Amino acid sequence: MANVLDLRRRIRSVKNTRQITKAMKMVSAAKLRRAQERAMLARPYAHMLTNVLDSLVRRTDLYGEEGNILHPLLVEREEKNVLVVVVAGDKGFAGAFNSNITKAAQGFIDSRRAAGQSVDVEPVGRKARDLFRKRYPTAVYEKTEEHYDNDLATHYETLRHRSAPVEVTGEHQTLLLKLEFDEVTAMSHSIVERYESAEIDSVYVVYNEFKSVISQRLVVEKLLPIRKLGSHEITAAEEMTEEEKEAAGRAAQTAGVSLTEPEESEFEAEARKFGTAEVDYIFDQAPYRLFRHLMPRYVTTQIFHALLESVAAEHAARMTAMDSATNNAGDMIDALSLTMNRVRQAAITKEIIEIVSGAAAL
Amino acid sequence: MAETTTNTGLLAVRLVTPDRVLLDATAEAVELPSMSGYLEALYGAAPLLAELGAGEVRLHGGSAGEQRFFVAWGFVEVLPERVTILAETALHPNEIDVAEAQLELQEGDKLWNEAGDDGGKYDEANAVTRQAEEKISSAEGKSS
Repeated sequence: MANVLDLRRRIRSVKNTRQITKAMKMVSAAKLRRAQERAMLARPYAHMLTNVLDSLVRRTDLYGEEGNILHPLLVEREEKNVLVVVVAGDKGFAGAFNSNITKAAQGFIDSRRAAGQSVDVEPVGRKARDLFRKRYPTAVYEKTEEHYDNDLATHYETLRHRSAPVEVTGEHQTLLLKLEFDEVTAMSHSIVERYESAEIDSVYVVYNEFKSVISQRLVVEKLLPIRKLGSHEITAAEEMTEEEKEAAGRAAQTAGVSLTEPEESEFEAEARKFGTAEVDYIFDQAPYRLFRHLMPRYVTTQIFHALLESVAAEHAARMTAMDSATNNAGDMIDALSLTMNRVRQAAITKEIIEIVSGAAAL
Repeated sequence: MAETTTNTGLLAVRLVTPDRVLLDATAEAVELPSMSGYLEALYGAAPLLAELGAGEVRLHGGSAGEQRFFVAWGFVEVLPERVTILAETALHPNEIDVAEAQLELQEGDKLWNEAGDDGGKYDEANAVTRQAEEKISSAEGKSS
């Protein structure tokens, strides 16, 4: 049996670990609160943009005079090449957060492959990037340059050579660090461009939706082509289990994070009404021009929204994981203390017996 | 387009960016950089929806006082008693990094030179250049 000194050392080490996990839990709780706040602040803009688009769609025909669809992002094609954006986290210690997402993404890829479609993967977050880069080759682009009329005109073209059915097309390692809207714009711009040039026929996002700590789900959302404005087209979702909810609820309560979804602010309610007043607006520009600028931005806000929610979900997952680690450490300390006391008591008893039997022998 | 005769009230002005609500104030008049040129909204203006290009939103009077914001692309809804601006980028002139704007200007030139025979790319290059130019002039106008 271990001696008292060893046990005491062990207990001290577990206590230290418990302090670290407790600190990590509180840090995650603070970050979660901030992430939630950011997601709230981003909502008015998203509502307003959707409203403008919506009111535009209601007022004008989506089809031009020759029956052509006014915007390329509304065109539906047969899905041959599918792009999937996988949003995971940058760091570990978040329980099953990252593995759940990559598992769902892998399931999506496999099912698309089984249907004979090619899949492009666009991982966001270091964890997703590391995994998919290891599994699949990177897409190769070739830049060509042609000169005409004695170099007066140049034609540039970027060609994509698909060599494998599943390829990684881009990576966004630093995107989640600060999550700036500009950087998200750059990413969505490249996605929209690929969609317009028919390099890809549809776009999906796999991410962790976050309403509150106890109301989260892992979803596969269809981003392009746009079918209905203002709604999220969820093609697959995985709800939290009761057990997970309970653990998350406990962690949130001890860390002082509210369990309910934050209430809609007064301004957000007003933002919902943006551009929907019962009046006849004068439109300053022609609808097709407005469409051209609005559509890509709508896609950007959708992606931005997914990223913000995913960041909040990551912190919530880390908070929950660290809470159970802290609890486990507590249990372990209790068990070790019990053993230590027993060992000490056994040693004392043994000594007394020795003394007593020594005295009796005299 | 504003009825100057009823110009007694104040407009509620809000400026919203993807990150936050930047401004919530009242003003007597708001100048807006619409895609087809600057327009000014006063109290009682006719309902209007307009796309904004790169330029300055200027507020006059009211609780906002004299304020200027640089915006790059956005949308504005003008109602008789309310102006709501949604801007993709909105900066206070003091926040503008002129050196960065200069780089963006060069980037615009580069895009122009590389546009080749694609008309859309020229538009894109023009937009970048214009935005950088407006940014610089907005930052330089801060003393005035």
